[in-house]
Amino acid sequence: MDAAPSSFPSSSPSPQPAAPRPGRSALTRYAGLLAALVAMCVLFGALSEHFLTAASFRTIANQIPALAVMAVGMTFVLIIGGIDLSVGSVLAFSGAVMSVAIVQWDLGLAAGIGLALVTGMVCGAFTGTISVSLRIPSFIVSLGMLEMARGGAYTATGSRTEYIGGNVSLITDPWVAGISPAFLLALIIVMMGHVLLNRTVFGRHLIGIGTNEEAMRLAGIDTHPPKILVFMLMGLLSAVGALFQVARMEAADPNAGVGMELSVIAAVVIGGTSLMGGRGSVLASFFGVLIIAVLESGLAQIGASEPTKRIITGIVIILAVVLDMYRSRAASRSS
Amino acid sequence: MKAALRLILAAAAVALIGVGGAQAADAKPKIALVTKSLANEFHQTLLNGAVADQKARSGEYDLIANGIKNEGDTAGQIQLVEQMIVNKVDALVLAPADSKALIPVVKKAIDAGILVINIDNSLDADTLKSKGIHLPFVGPDNRKGARLVGDYLAGKLTKGDKVAIIEGIPTAFNAQQRTQGFKDAMAAAGMTIVSLQSGQWEIDKANTIASSLLTEYPDLKAILCGNDSMAIGAVAAVKSAGRTGQVLVVGFDNLAAVQPMLNDGRLLASVEQHGSKLGVFGIDVALKALKDKVPQNKIDALIETPVDLALKK
Repeated sequence: MDAAPSSFPSSSPSPQPAAPRPGRSALTRYAGLLAALVAMCVLFGALSEHFLTAASFRTIANQIPALAVMAVGMTFVLIIGGIDLSVGSVLAFSGAVMSVAIVQWDLGLAAGIGLALVTGMVCGAFTGTISVSLRIPSFIVSLGMLEMARGGAYTATGSRTEYIGGNVSLITDPWVAGISPAFLLALIIVMMGHVLLNRTVFGRHLIGIGTNEEAMRLAGIDTHPPKILVFMLMGLLSAVGALFQVARMEAADPNAGVGMELSVIAAVVIGGTSLMGGRGSVLASFFGVLIIAVLESGLAQIGASEPTKRIITGIVIILAVVLDMYRSRAASRSS
Repeated sequence: MKAALRLILAAAAVALIGVGGAQAADAKPKIALVTKSLANEFHQTLLNGAVADQKARSGEYDLIANGIKNEGDTAGQIQLVEQMIVNKVDALVLAPADSKALIPVVKKAIDAGILVINIDNSLDADTLKSKGIHLPFVGPDNRKGARLVGDYLAGKLTKGDKVAIIEGIPTAFNAQQRTQGFKDAMAAAGMTIVSLQSGQWEIDKANTIASSLLTEYPDLKAILCGNDSMAIGAVAAVKSAGRTGQVLVVGFDNLAAVQPMLNDGRLLASVEQHGSKLGVFGIDVALKALKDKVPQNKIDALIETPVDLALKK
């Protein structure tokens, strides 16, 4: 922590008298998101007979782990000013490798999980290394990875849904009070992500890179390794997402996670993380995940038609970002 | 120098192969199979079945088999058909990605003297008629298959029970047909359909919807799914809601992945439409017409392939 202050805020030449108090702005941010969440719950509660029940919230809790952990990774990626479009494909590929390792190679659950995590991390390392060292926008490289990993998923499974069964579902089976180990694991990962971003040198460096990479370099910090690490982390967390999803379905679907990158990015952006880099919060992204999940679940519960679902989801995403823009403008005016 | 030599050699090799191919074409017909997305297990099986058949009967015909990248890649499929026209194949067996968009290129193929057989997903009858195209369709009746599994499910329920349908992509013709078949069966047996939503053919989307339905309707008795991937998602939702056995699930396609679920009853039933033979059925119709010199407009308009109930083995 002692290296950070000297290396980044003071490297900016503009004379800023005092750092803005992060505590208060963070509090208003969470309050806004929480209010939106509560409003949605009340609305769905009024429209549906059984939305405001424990069963309903348990269901949502057991459904979000994959999205939640991937949103943690995406928050980091967006903070450094990157983007990763390959996460849905990497999820499918990691899940495919896991199923093949368990079913066809007979390696057992632990080795299957290990291989899946390695697969995700290698995909992320590939995207990160190419994009960072050759200075190609991560948008393009991850678009390439989106295709490659999807192809990998089809190849590994022979384009077939692979049934795993056995004890794989222990990870996502309801455990204490109907909550699955996967949900608790996801919460732990969210907390760890939050601490990593806010309380470590590494995390502060990432914010510095996203704000002004040149300044970081001039301050003597090699910005390449942390950036590549962020993409590796994203790949790893996509594989964790795969683990959760495969366990819940007891099967690996090579078409899993199609379009998931958009849900993940939407959740993170709803949480107020900037696509331009330098600004973001892991906890706020988690609220974004909750908003997306409640929306999805609520719309399904009231039996909204497919077009209605899409229109409403789109409106919520835009609305959230517009509100966030006003909030951050107001915050910068008052400081 | 070396590179130039290699180029000449390669050109010579290509020429030789070309000549060989042309000679073979005199003896046996060249059939093109263009299917939908190979990302879809069903179409992969269909294509593999055709390729295996050609290997077994390589003396009878040559096969060029192609599929597209994903379900929505209609433009890619049109391009593939155009390539087959340039390739001067004798017959084209087509599983169209879109019921209307493929019609102009099909007309082009027929005008070029290629025999075209439609399999799997039938092209729009009205548009075909307006263009004056006679296109034989070889394939399963999806509505009949859905009715079959729906009727079987109804036998396990009591009149008035609440059921829900999770359908595929609503714009796809086979999704519409299956939903219609489910509705026919449920209406005939007097069940109440409380919800009809799309799971986009996918496992996780269906899982989200099924989970919500289970919360909203505590007395839900069954979920009918438009394909087996979505059925897997529904089975997982029923399990995490702790209602295995109380809520019955049926699917469609009889994938290998659902066999364990059929066997232990988590999935009540599915529909087998003999995907591995579907391409071959189409090829057989084409071969027979070529052999007997039957023109395009004299082939039977509808040749139905079998659909069967898939149950616990």
